Amino acid sequence: MIFDAAVDGQTHRVEVTGSKGRYTVAVDGRPLEVDWREVGGPFVSLLVGGRSHHVALEPRPGGYRVLVDSHDFAVDVLETTRDAVLAPRGPAGPARLVAPMPGRIVRVLAEPGQEVEAGQGLVVMEAMKMENELRSPRAGRVVEVHARELQTVETGFLLVVVE
Amino acid sequence: MSERIFRKILVANRGEIAVRVIRACREMGIVSVAVFSEADRAARHVRLADEAWPIGPPRAADSYLRIDRVIDAARASGADAVHPGYGFLAENAGFARACEEAGLVFIGPRSQTIALVGEKTSARRLAVAAGLPVVPGTLEPLVDDAAIRREAERIGFPLMLKAAAGGGGKGLRLVASAAELVSAAGRARSEARSAFGDDRVYVEKALVRPRHVEIQVMADHHGNVVHLFERECSIQRRHQKVVEETPSPLLTPDLRARMGMLAVALVRKSGYVNAGTLEFLMDESREPYFLEMNTRLQVEHPVTELVTGVDLVKLQIGIAQGEPLPFAQADLVQRGHAIECRVYAEDPDAGFLPCPGRILALRVPGGPGIRDDSGVEEGDEVPSYYDPLVSKLVAWGEDRASAIARMRRAVREYKVLGIKTTLPFFERVLRHPDFLAGRIDTSFVERLGREKQAEEERPWAVAAAAAAIGALARRRAARTTPGAGPAPSAWRREGRREAMGGRG
Repeated sequence: MIFDAAVDGQTHRVEVTGSKGRYTVAVDGRPLEVDWREVGGPFVSLLVGGRSHHVALEPRPGGYRVLVDSHDFAVDVLETTRDAVLAPRGPAGPARLVAPMPGRIVRVLAEPGQEVEAGQGLVVMEAMKMENELRSPRAGRVVEVHARELQTVETGFLLVVVE
Repeated sequence: MSERIFRKILVANRGEIAVRVIRACREMGIVSVAVFSEADRAARHVRLADEAWPIGPPRAADSYLRIDRVIDAARASGADAVHPGYGFLAENAGFARACEEAGLVFIGPRSQTIALVGEKTSARRLAVAAGLPVVPGTLEPLVDDAAIRREAERIGFPLMLKAAAGGGGKGLRLVASAAELVSAAGRARSEARSAFGDDRVYVEKALVRPRHVEIQVMADHHGNVVHLFERECSIQRRHQKVVEETPSPLLTPDLRARMGMLAVALVRKSGYVNAGTLEFLMDESREPYFLEMNTRLQVEHPVTELVTGVDLVKLQIGIAQGEPLPFAQADLVQRGHAIECRVYAEDPDAGFLPCPGRILALRVPGGPGIRDDSGVEEGDEVPSYYDPLVSKLVAWGEDRASAIARMRRAVREYKVLGIKTTLPFFERVLRHPDFLAGRIDTSFVERLGREKQAEEERPWAVAAAAAAIGALARRRAARTTPGAGPAPSAWRREGRREAMGGRG
């Protein structure tokens, strides 16, 4: 089965063959012999060409969070043998600023129609007793503001849309 | 003060510090009483305590900060003493007074000492009187924006705005120029108001690339005062410490002895009893300036415990029982080196944004020289209402290099799933050449954030391979058992629910 795996901002072609804990994985054409043993919950012991890795896999939208030794990765996985191509992703299109955690809106710094720079503060949220400034993911014009001051929001709540 | 033996101690806190105090109580044969908010009914401190009493809704202001409810729980449970931990009511003179008035022993200084030393500007005046050098700034709290503006212009930029009642980085702002002053003052005051119920601030000159070194002190009710050396706390983000160590790679034996003497002088001058910490800033010439005194146990107390062999919590309880210090200054030595990494539920790749949630899986390191002071176990919730500290990982080694190597080994063994943590960040800190050489100051974390990590250092190919095999196994299982993944267990169900945007 062939996948596109996006990790650390780069997409790699990953081809997996094998079963029952013995796999050959070609990453960008470079073959790895992988011995895979599930060791309880999300934990997996991997032997890759004799090197031992303690790995954990946590499902997340679009793929997995993968812990490898002391490193933390967000890996997007798309099956290219079935799904078409990677959806175009980039600076084009509107950017949605969502609440990264549950908390309370302290201040709304943006209004519809306002031109903003990338990194400019749009909303101040209070969570865990700290005030956190949430910044614009891109430069552009504010088209929607859903955040209201003193409102309590959950993770993923759409706060502001920048076009 | 006459000696008494505590039969039962109420722990007026939550999380890892409540667990720490409850453990000390159990080792001393003292019955422990936990208190909990509605969000913490099943928290680890509740599970480990002998008794547990509810004190209100999740918000700290409605539970852990409610003096009346904590005192009621202490009375109802028949406790004879209260340990406040750190944070919440630990430095609240009104709480210490309420304990005293209710006939409960407050395990800490007297209420009037907390009022005197805990208020930052009166502590600065006291320090000046005791002969300690202080950072230039205001000695009185400022109540309005006009006064703040006036003092800021007198002292000059850059400057620090600090909550007079403050601590723990709350209500603290670095102000680079006059243009930022008004908004920074507004935010500092609103944070101070919600964290401490007191929005008075004061102004201090900001030192350039300062280092943060603190001295642990202990004083009994019989006039004995000792210091337990220093802790280096320069690795900070948002003015909160994330990595601490002792001894400080910066201090010479002479400087250490001098700072210890200054600390003991202030403790004597103020009539202070029990555990306390004097924080100092040091500029590039290694000149120490007194910053403030924390009238409680510090988060980072374990590093001191590991190099001195003293259990600070048991010592606090002994002092509160009226016992004299069991050692003199000359008996204390620093043996080896200890480092603490604070494991926070935060995403280090997203500016350390808090990351509350359920811990779906947890593997905690062990082995020689490793201590994990944790407030959680697998399956526990890290609620969004409180400080996101999950655990303190502490390593001891015979010298600094071996303590660092041991910590790196432990960070590699530590796995937390379900929430993001600061663990991957520590991996970067612990192998950074500046950290290894001891070239650290309070801007270290910010500098580290700007440095791009070389990608070949990260085992991305293993991560990509693991994710692809995981996806393959999932697809195959879905084909044979529609709607089910391989080995449908709690963590997978949880993950899938999140993937579908559901909430449980």
